[in-house]
Amino acid sequence: MKIKKVFALLFVLVLCVGVCSADEAKLKSPSDLKTEKLAAQRGTVGQFLAEDLLGDKKALLLTTYEKYVDAIAALRQGKVRAVIMDEMPAKRFLSEVEGLAIMNEPLSEENYAIGFRKGNTELVSAVNKALAEMKADGTMDRIFAKYLDGDYSAVKPEDIDFNKGAKGGKLFVGTEAGFAPYELKVGTGFIGIDVEMCAYIAKKLDRELVIENMNFDALPMAVSTNKVDMICAGITVTDERKENMDFSDNYVVGAKQVAVVKSDDYEK
Amino acid sequence: MRNKRYDGAGRGDLLLWIVGAFLLYLLWDSGFFTAAAWSDFNRRFYQNFVKDNRYMMLVDGLKSTIFMTSGATVIGVIVGLILSVIRVAHKGGVHIPVLNKLAETYITVLRGTPAMVQLLIWNFTIFASARDLNTQYIAILAFGLNSGAYVAEIFRGGIESIDAGQMEAARSLGLTYGSSMRHVILPQALRNVVPMLFNEFIALLKETSIAGYIGIDDLTRAGQNIQALTLEHSQPLVMVAIIYLIMVMVLSKLVKKLEQWLSRGRRG
Repeated sequence: MKIKKVFALLFVLVLCVGVCSADEAKLKSPSDLKTEKLAAQRGTVGQFLAEDLLGDKKALLLTTYEKYVDAIAALRQGKVRAVIMDEMPAKRFLSEVEGLAIMNEPLSEENYAIGFRKGNTELVSAVNKALAEMKADGTMDRIFAKYLDGDYSAVKPEDIDFNKGAKGGKLFVGTEAGFAPYELKVGTGFIGIDVEMCAYIAKKLDRELVIENMNFDALPMAVSTNKVDMICAGITVTDERKENMDFSDNYVVGAKQVAVVKSDDYEK
Repeated sequence: MRNKRYDGAGRGDLLLWIVGAFLLYLLWDSGFFTAAAWSDFNRRFYQNFVKDNRYMMLVDGLKSTIFMTSGATVIGVIVGLILSVIRVAHKGGVHIPVLNKLAETYITVLRGTPAMVQLLIWNFTIFASARDLNTQYIAILAFGLNSGAYVAEIFRGGIESIDAGQMEAARSLGLTYGSSMRHVILPQALRNVVPMLFNEFIALLKETSIAGYIGIDDLTRAGQNIQALTLEHSQPLVMVAIIYLIMVMVLSKLVKKLEQWLSRGRRG
């Protein structure tokens, strides 16, 4: 009985491997993706761009995943032909995973900002002031420089000052810590551009930073129900999102949205 | 989603199952047992679990999973006991129509909606403004109240399985309905339902894997966090699965032992 079951399982596995091989024309540019199976992280701009690309075929061809790792795994296993995502996290995937390529031509360029509950103007202006100061005194450049080369194994969560015990109370920030270099969970703490930026903002506001790590598609809900004060997760400013939340000034301008494909499936 | 009974309980040898799972995974993951594949497996194993003490993320996740499961079971048993006594008492002639209707509604609603949806509602709607509250407590409440509805039915079955003659005898000896219930019926019923309560605990253990949706780093989420760190898809998940499996198998063994111990000295 037991042996039979094991054999049945093995048989299914072999079948799976056998099915997954078919020759297709190579991809050249994002316009080739209009009739292909695509993946994106749920709730991200990558999803919206993929939907635009696919048009009315999106229900058939687009798969959205909770995490980028899942989308990339689907790509590597041939379940989809491309993943639409932000360039910087995509570059990190390329440096760690073999056999992937980023299409030269970006799909769009977006701006990142911090999101707030609609009408929370007081906090928005306070954060904008802190952001302006960061840009002026070079802190912002320093933070970006720390992460830009793609190797941040030296960055330790303990080194980021969360301003514990600040008099002004706590500053709850929602994020999705699977979006390196912007936010990443390491051990029990967090690192990343957004995290360090929020730590600086918290200090300026004399508040203690508390990071709430949740799924990306839960972030708008969390900020609108006041579960967190603000959400900072490489969030692209879009008109649709502006209807439901307020945004700070942009802290990243021109972040490229790119298509990640298998390198042997891509013809430059 | 809900698996009320672990069917493999006590079947086969514990060690065999663990070894089997590992072998199957090795086959799946590396294809063949070549030296290169093995060293690649080792390298990734090192990255995923050894480097920077990443296994501690799993340990912390495991602690959180066990904490939530234990808390939820306690709440579940208390709520379940109250609900079942209400329902049985109503049926047994005690006049509590309103309470009975409430209990019925509670059981219908909580059993008729997915635990995942309930969890999201608890976190983002009911406790929307409770920010200083540890999210784990919200999860415990959500899972506990959900479990209570199931436990209520377990208890009711247990109480109703006691021969009606027991109650009649107790009442004819002059005991009130309440004390007959407390001193005669419930002790016998409890003995019948304890194994099923343990099964409920096992079901809950697996069910808490959805806690990541509200930002709790439970065992499953810990695996996902490692995925985000190492961009490695299969190993963390399989490791998480193995940890769950070992816990469930050990608990199932305990339930079996408990069943034997409880039925000692019983006739027939």
